[in-house]
Amino acid sequence: MLNFFRRSPANFEVNLTESDISFNVKRGDSLLSSALGAGVPWPFKCKVGSCGKCKCRLVDGKIKPQLDFGYVLDISEINEGYILACQSVPKSDITVSVNLNENKVSRK
Amino acid sequence: MKFYVNVRYLIVPFMSLIAILGILFGGSYTWVGVGLFALNTLIDTLTRNIHLPADFDDSGESYGIKKLQYSVMFFMLPVFIALQVVLAYRIFQYNADAPIVISSFLGFSYQAGISGFNLIGATISSGLWAGLGIIYGHELSHNKKEGFLVSRLIMALSGAAHFTYAHVYNHHLDLGHEDDPATAPRGRNIYTHAWLSHMGQSRFSYILEQQRLSKRGSSALNIDNRWILGYLYSLPSIVLFVWAGGAVGVAALFSVWVIANFLLEALNFMGHYGLIRKDGPVEHRHSWDNDSVFTSWFFIEIGRQCDHHVRGETYFWELDDVEGPNYGIGYFSLFVITLIPPLFRAYVQKYLDNWDEKYASAEEKLIAQKFSH
Repeated sequence: MLNFFRRSPANFEVNLTESDISFNVKRGDSLLSSALGAGVPWPFKCKVGSCGKCKCRLVDGKIKPQLDFGYVLDISEINEGYILACQSVPKSDITVSVNLNENKVSRK
Repeated sequence: MKFYVNVRYLIVPFMSLIAILGILFGGSYTWVGVGLFALNTLIDTLTRNIHLPADFDDSGESYGIKKLQYSVMFFMLPVFIALQVVLAYRIFQYNADAPIVISSFLGFSYQAGISGFNLIGATISSGLWAGLGIIYGHELSHNKKEGFLVSRLIMALSGAAHFTYAHVYNHHLDLGHEDDPATAPRGRNIYTHAWLSHMGQSRFSYILEQQRLSKRGSSALNIDNRWILGYLYSLPSIVLFVWAGGAVGVAALFSVWVIANFLLEALNFMGHYGLIRKDGPVEHRHSWDNDSVFTSWFFIEIGRQCDHHVRGETYFWELDDVEGPNYGIGYFSLFVITLIPPLFRAYVQKYLDNWDEKYASAEEKLIAQKFSH
């Protein structure tokens, strides 16, 4: 019960499975903004949860979604653990799988 | 500096409360909301040449206090509700033929009963200030889970809860393209745009919900359909006004919604009129900035559209001048010009020509040429 009063750490660590890259996320910040702030070439376009370009797979850990992913991701993708980095706030240390070479430009 | 940066965004909460008090005091005070709108237009016009950048400390951190600004935005929901309640109270008095006499409450004198003329003033005042709910509904629609519902509820007070989804999933993605109903193509006037944009965004929201529910194997005719739910959020307003004044109440609420939605669409119109995006990501050049000082503070920086559309996750107090296309005047001043379509077209032509020459890509120029014939 006392866990309820325990304050979570100020930073969480993010590890990427396909590389040895890791970076910290300040409590309350989004995964994407922290990645870009750390110089990680994370694919993105709209940053408001509508294009799906920043999607990645949560392998381990917890995040808090800021918007409903169901408008952009399929049910199967959500069930496989896919999330939108721009709309995900880590709630623990996390491990994520993301294709950093996904930088093709398209209108949608 | 911190105090100044945070207090300057409190103009709308302060003036909204004055407009509410005006309706409560009654008599010609019911027109105070209209008078404030006119006063703001004058201030905006007189200060149109003052443009200030966002304020950051030496380490690059913003002076904005997130908890304070969020508290204010959340506080605006009951303020906008109060705006409708006081109007309904006046409609109730009008319908009951309450005698127009000076009364007193807690030592304050007010006019009980209301004339038809002053009821019109109260209705227009409510509509104008309800329309400003867009600036909070818009800010809370981005990236902020707890605020998203508040955004929906604020917009529902104007019968426009669909806006929250359409703005994020349609406008931000399709900006400057024909798929975005909120981007006005060249030649369209504000009156046509208000109707087409409103209906287009509502239609988009319905299709978005239909697709989301069909992924789950559910029908669109479902209480979980957030397009339907959004309109249901507007039901308390309808019930209140029907109860307060029957047909008069319905006419008043309809007027409030028309005025409020017209202001909402006017902001969309002014933010992107005539700008074109062919392919690739949204860039600064795909929006018009309106960042004269009064517009920036009054509209909580919603006029910094160029930066906002590239950094949609950024809080309003951190948005900055990015040297994008700029009309050079604020929203109030420009709004008056847009109301006279020939005048607006004449005014905006040189800015569009400049955009075509300085900002447009080769493909965007080709599309622009089609509009000039």
